Amino acid sequence: MASIAKPTLPVAAERNGLALLAGVPRALTIVLTAAVVLAPLSLIVYQSLLSAPFFDAVKKVGIDAYAFIFSDPDFWSALVNSLLIAAGMTLIAVPLGGVLAFVMERTDFPGKRIIEPLLLVPSFVSPMVLSFGYVVAAGPVGFYSVLATKLFGGIPWGLYSLPAMAVIAGLTHVPNVYIYASSALKNLGSDVEEAARVAGASPFRVAISVSLPLIMPALLFSAVLIFFLGLELFGLPLVLGDPEGHLVLSTYLYKLTNKLGTPSYHLMAAVAVCIVALTIPLVLLQRRLLQNVRKYATIKGKAGRIRELPLGRWKWLAVALVGLWLFVAVIVPLTGIALRAFVTNWGFGVSLAEAFTLNNFHEVFNEPTDVRAIINTVLLGTVGGALTVACYTAIGFATHRRNDGWSRIVDYLVLIPRAVPGLLIGLAFLWVFLFFPPLRPLRETIFSMWLAYTVVWLAYGMRLISSSLLQVSTELEEAARTIGAARGRISREITLPLIRHGLLGSWLLVFMIFEREYSTGVYLLAPGTEVIGAELVSLWQGGAIDVVAALSLINILLVFVGLAIALRFGVRLRD
Amino acid sequence: MPELTVENLHLRYGDNEILKGVAMTLSRGEVVSLLGPSGSGKTTLLRAVAGLEVPHAGRILIGDKVVFDGAKDVDIPAEGRNLGLVFQSYALWPHKTVFDNVAYGLRLRRAGRDAIGQRVRAALDQLSLGHLAERFPHQLSGGQQQRVALARALVYNPPVILLDEPLSNLDAKLREEARAWLRELIMRMQLSALCVTHDQAEALAMSDRILLLNGGRIEQQGTPQQMYSAPETLFTADFMGSNNRLPGRVAEIRDGAALLEGQGFRLWGTAKKGAAPGGDGVGMIRLEQIRIAEGPGDNRLAADLSTSMYLGDKWEHLFHVGDARLRAYGSEPLAAGRHWLELPKQAFWVF
Repeated sequence: MASIAKPTLPVAAERNGLALLAGVPRALTIVLTAAVVLAPLSLIVYQSLLSAPFFDAVKKVGIDAYAFIFSDPDFWSALVNSLLIAAGMTLIAVPLGGVLAFVMERTDFPGKRIIEPLLLVPSFVSPMVLSFGYVVAAGPVGFYSVLATKLFGGIPWGLYSLPAMAVIAGLTHVPNVYIYASSALKNLGSDVEEAARVAGASPFRVAISVSLPLIMPALLFSAVLIFFLGLELFGLPLVLGDPEGHLVLSTYLYKLTNKLGTPSYHLMAAVAVCIVALTIPLVLLQRRLLQNVRKYATIKGKAGRIRELPLGRWKWLAVALVGLWLFVAVIVPLTGIALRAFVTNWGFGVSLAEAFTLNNFHEVFNEPTDVRAIINTVLLGTVGGALTVACYTAIGFATHRRNDGWSRIVDYLVLIPRAVPGLLIGLAFLWVFLFFPPLRPLRETIFSMWLAYTVVWLAYGMRLISSSLLQVSTELEEAARTIGAARGRISREITLPLIRHGLLGSWLLVFMIFEREYSTGVYLLAPGTEVIGAELVSLWQGGAIDVVAALSLINILLVFVGLAIALRFGVRLRD
Repeated sequence: MPELTVENLHLRYGDNEILKGVAMTLSRGEVVSLLGPSGSGKTTLLRAVAGLEVPHAGRILIGDKVVFDGAKDVDIPAEGRNLGLVFQSYALWPHKTVFDNVAYGLRLRRAGRDAIGQRVRAALDQLSLGHLAERFPHQLSGGQQQRVALARALVYNPPVILLDEPLSNLDAKLREEARAWLRELIMRMQLSALCVTHDQAEALAMSDRILLLNGGRIEQQGTPQQMYSAPETLFTADFMGSNNRLPGRVAEIRDGAALLEGQGFRLWGTAKKGAAPGGDGVGMIRLEQIRIAEGPGDNRLAADLSTSMYLGDKWEHLFHVGDARLRAYGSEPLAAGRHWLELPKQAFWVF
């Protein structure tokens, strides 16, 4: 005891002198976040109010740009198409996702654990790649179309119509609904259902009167989310809408340059502002609804062991339904690309053995631009992804356990990029790099691409980081405080080590989304900043199908490597 | 000079006032328990002392150093108060070994490597944890984790140690052993401790002084004996111990004694605060104070036996008197029917 009963050791005094500096990293983080989020957006708004591109000598402030697009019938048809597709895909994705979630979470569906990662595949593969997959698999001379013609004497589907786009968009967005519905069901303890069963309700009644009402907030939230994603669609309407000339808002914006032949930045900015005006209310609505989801999460019972509902004779119907969906949303496009990457051409009367070639890959690897695109994409995912997670973590720490005005500002800052489609953020960053001369040298480096990617995925990444941070119990940090550790030290020595697995998982997920990303790079693409996603858009516009197929397959492989590592380390693929 | 002084502390969350002017002191070598029902503000008071909650008025002093003063806008953060806090959940850092958990406070105080090793080992040995130094928290039992949490809070010799429900995470049997062990440790090390508990038996056994909180105010404070045997208010009397309540009318007050009349009884008891002649009164007596008598007599009442429960070392009998129920202990089973119960005057309090 004697050795303990020494005089009190006070906390090192010199740290008090540093107390004034303690707020500096936080302030810096908040200012930088505000700058990278607000600068591009304000530039878009500013540009939309000019009568010519901002670098033109002759320009005046006014609403000419809006007047022009509002008088263009193409804009209105694009708007209507966007709303129709968004509504259609919501009507398809939400019920399917809900049913899928119920089947996977609550019933004895066979082979659930193996199928689950497959269900998420469409959300990990670039929509550009998926759409291209549909073209080569089910387009007029696609693999499955040729097969169907042999079997039925004709193709019973048309790929390039508006309804077809809505159906494909709906089917490929089922995972987004599934994720929210299934985690809502997972959190829903069996006890509330068992209470209903004990009270005399049949399993069917339980589902109708207890389970589904309890996950209604989650379903409603995903409906708004899907509608919102529908307004953002770019790759799918670009690939599938082109042949029959269907435009949506984002493709209308993209094609404006072609239409007028000159860089009509003020018109693009006006369209961009219109898109954001539609998406911002939806994002705010999502935020409200998500709080509602959380509220329900605290009311209902303890998440205990979940008892499976026997499907009985419905099992085969469920298997058929899930199988059909998997076939259409995953197998058709992916096999299409895989086959197309290894043939010279395809059509009626061409046999696989004759057309087989590795030439497409030779072409990719002999083209320096494509090789750079692959290298850049990998670097962006690995090194860039790590840096991105580091930035997100810094922002996370700036608001962690602080309930002041600054934290609320950061909350909204982080939310803003969510409302702006990647295509627009890429465009805005292009302008930022052109507008501020000191930044110009960075324009043709991969840094510009990295910055835009990091801002586009800010909201998603912050959800990953804050869910890791929330898992650290407050008391672990309070214990360090009472022992004498200041905030910065607690962050470094207690919180950071505790969330390292979460950060590693976030890195893998960020890697996958960075490999998948395509629209953000469209306008930033330049010699030196090539990435696969944006390169695919550009090559597709140029009609280089062979190279697109090979690059798409490489892109899918990169995503799958990330997915395999994530599964190997047990990373939760969803938050 | 007290080690800890709290003066007129007010604290609220939003519009919800949690502490409404609490004052207390803690002297060197003293164990004070904060006792009260949930929502009474006891944990909030402890956390305010630690610096984890910010009051809006009042003062907190550690020794003679003001760590919080609402009027002068002084608020030394938790890390500057140099206190030891043992959390209810223990809050051991899962990524650090037992040694590193305990050493952290010394590292923050820039102690030398050798000094750290020596002091951590001494603290661990003191708590019989010496052989567990290299383990991680998840490899320890609940009791061991609790002792590591204590070692972590003690190793840098804080002037006051704060304990938040230190025993509530242990199972019932272990809890009684740990209680004795903890009391002995505090005495031997001459610690000044402030301890939060909701368990009155724990507070009685552990402390030199008890502060009973009720709705953000101190209801009564005193030694465990005073709290148990001389409660000033009905709330205190009711909170401490197992009690019988007899509602009735106060018929007469004479020389500090009150006569309580009710359905089927007329008993003299000790008059307490609030009892007034002619008004409604509540009679209260501890279960163990009721004596089962053979026949009628002074301060006795007739009651019908409803049922009996065997507790192992004794019987607990349940009686009905009019609408009221009385529970009493006895050493043997009783026959069904009417019995006489004696409620000694000094143990029967009338509020």
